[in-house]
Amino acid sequence: MQLLYEEELVEGAVFLCANGRRSCIPPLQASRFSRSRERLYDIPDPDARNNAFFALHLKWFREWGLADLLAGVIREYPILDGALKTLSFRRAKARNEEGAELFVHPEEGRNGVVALRIERFERDADLLPFLLHELMHLSDMTDPAFGYSRDVPVRNPSQQQLVLGRYRLLWDITIDARLSSRTPKPTEPASRASSELKNRYETEFNRAYCFWDEARRREVFEALWNDAAPRHERLMSLAVDPRGAAAMNRPEPGGLCPLCGFSTFDWADGAAICSETAEAIRRQFPSWAVTQGACNRCVEVYEASQLEQPATLFL
Amino acid sequence: MSTVYNWQLGREMEYPYDATYPNEQFAFVFNINRCIACQTCTMACKSTWTFSKGQEYMWWNNVETKPYGGYPHHWDVKLLDLLEKANPEGQIWNDQPLEKRAPYGRFGGKTVFDAAQQNLAPEGAQAALGYLPTDEEWSGPNKFEDNPLSEIKGKRGQFFPGGEQLPNHKTWFFYLQRLCNHCTYPACLAACPRKAIYKRREDGIVLIDQERCRGYRKCVEACPYKKPMYRGATRTSEKCIGCYPRIEGREPDTGGVPTQTRCMAGCIGQIRLQGLIELNPDGVWKENRANPLYYLVHVAKVALPLYPQFGTSPNGYYIPPRWVPRPYLRQMFGPGVDAAIERYTVPDRELLAVLQLFGKDERICARYEIQKGPKVFETTVRGKPFELYNDTIIGYSRKGQEIVRVTVEEPVHIRPDQHANSI
Repeated sequence: MQLLYEEELVEGAVFLCANGRRSCIPPLQASRFSRSRERLYDIPDPDARNNAFFALHLKWFREWGLADLLAGVIREYPILDGALKTLSFRRAKARNEEGAELFVHPEEGRNGVVALRIERFERDADLLPFLLHELMHLSDMTDPAFGYSRDVPVRNPSQQQLVLGRYRLLWDITIDARLSSRTPKPTEPASRASSELKNRYETEFNRAYCFWDEARRREVFEALWNDAAPRHERLMSLAVDPRGAAAMNRPEPGGLCPLCGFSTFDWADGAAICSETAEAIRRQFPSWAVTQGACNRCVEVYEASQLEQPATLFL
Repeated sequence: MSTVYNWQLGREMEYPYDATYPNEQFAFVFNINRCIACQTCTMACKSTWTFSKGQEYMWWNNVETKPYGGYPHHWDVKLLDLLEKANPEGQIWNDQPLEKRAPYGRFGGKTVFDAAQQNLAPEGAQAALGYLPTDEEWSGPNKFEDNPLSEIKGKRGQFFPGGEQLPNHKTWFFYLQRLCNHCTYPACLAACPRKAIYKRREDGIVLIDQERCRGYRKCVEACPYKKPMYRGATRTSEKCIGCYPRIEGREPDTGGVPTQTRCMAGCIGQIRLQGLIELNPDGVWKENRANPLYYLVHVAKVALPLYPQFGTSPNGYYIPPRWVPRPYLRQMFGPGVDAAIERYTVPDRELLAVLQLFGKDERICARYEIQKGPKVFETTVRGKPFELYNDTIIGYSRKGQEIVRVTVEEPVHIRPDQHANSI
């Protein structure tokens, strides 16, 4: 696997070191770096100047141990070495741009990209947990035992977002749980941090699965937290339809409307659906029956469709 | 460190260089009360100076919604916080105005230069107290646009009963127009390790020498208003150049007289008035009552500097918004706020005339005259008598040519019948 560093990330990280924002950088080295950097401004050709800047920044990126730091984290995931063709690190401008992505090319193979803000290089305590977490995402995605698939078994785009949101939470829980359990001899602060992390995730989990009773939430959360070998299929099954709404054959609060597929708490009164509207629905959903119900929004649409008249009437 | 006199603070202060002052100083007054945040100024600047590669996040002029907005995000809150930490509960004014040399009283707290001496940044002592914004803070230049602050949580579809009454609205925001203040004591200049930043002798415009700059970003860190910006594509810092070719009278359309910047000239709300100010040897404004800026800042005292307590002696002045709670405004514009709002709310005859000069011509008005007209209206405003005279104000360029002639009462044009519905 080849490691690639984006120019902007390297430059930003080195600038941060030279400005004393990362500890353990000797001031004399920072001065040497600045003097070398100043000289490059005199190179007249813009492309040659850019190349020279990148070479210099990369040299100090290595000199100040940042490249080794990243390589050390990567070594924690031996599976990546054989599974990826390249692993790139690039600069993220904002927190919501940070993360890891896997790009699969049918001929050129798999490439991983990790995006991170340069401020993470200020403290190892910000950088290392982030990298360990994101690289475990990549490791899972490339591990056949995890069985990752990018397909989401839901067609409605809004529902897909909901499912992916839940899936992301579940996956993050299992990742940080596995990382917490890795420490061979947990120290007092490490145990406290792990416990705080677990509480934070549990709160988030309870919020996402508030429709379950407390006993079930606790049971599922503990199972996730203690799962040493989670699988994609299991996580996705928890994310896709946690209420079991798809199996309901009658309208239930929070169930899915059989027409639009959205979860709804606003079911139409079956007795109030007139025969013309039911007929209009059946023209598009032949197997639909009034007993299956429909949300008020859909019923309204089909009622309105009764009022439509062919444009030719007005000609 | 040298000791310089800062009239906005009413006292001497420490500054890394000796005091030297330009022949004239670039300055401007913005009337916040009239801004609609159309961002025409922002785009006028962007389309003139910062449309190239690497300048995507560069907004030399921006208009932000206060109290939440800011570019970079929360620039002022972060700096106020740093100053408060450096001098807990000590950032206070002794508000006894001493006329021209101390019109807002005496500031007893610490400036960014004072506070820097006790503040050790990771790489050593700073020249001016500051911080380097993150990439994230440079994103979204108009974040929090139109987000109001309220004492009470609102209800959808309902107005506050009585919440809109002056002197303070209970739900409020306002637009703050910002560009480089071309400060008298620039923190960016003080902090530059390459001495690449200089203040022009002819007009006091602060510039970064692109040949000398080596991208250390100390100016970005030190400027309390966060107006120098780093450009990754050239690896140098850049900032507002005060449209200096226009100030020099090199705009082809205006006949060789000093012309207002693009952002001023483009303002459709006519909230901006820019000019050049003559200075005394101690940096205090030379008395020139016929100059509209001198009148607004030193005679009517309706225009106040932005965060004077930072200590850089900014040359941008603002007529504060009438509806915003006073403690917020006092923090932002100093102790002159209450008197300024009172005068602006019930303007006298001369102030009303001078306010008509805003945005009327792109040439810089060096002097004005008022021709008296008849009284056309009288009333009381919040218990004070107010009389409206239809005076005519005439503005002259530096060469003495008439550039503006406008009456206080806006002329009414009655469209003839045959064109009643045409534009």
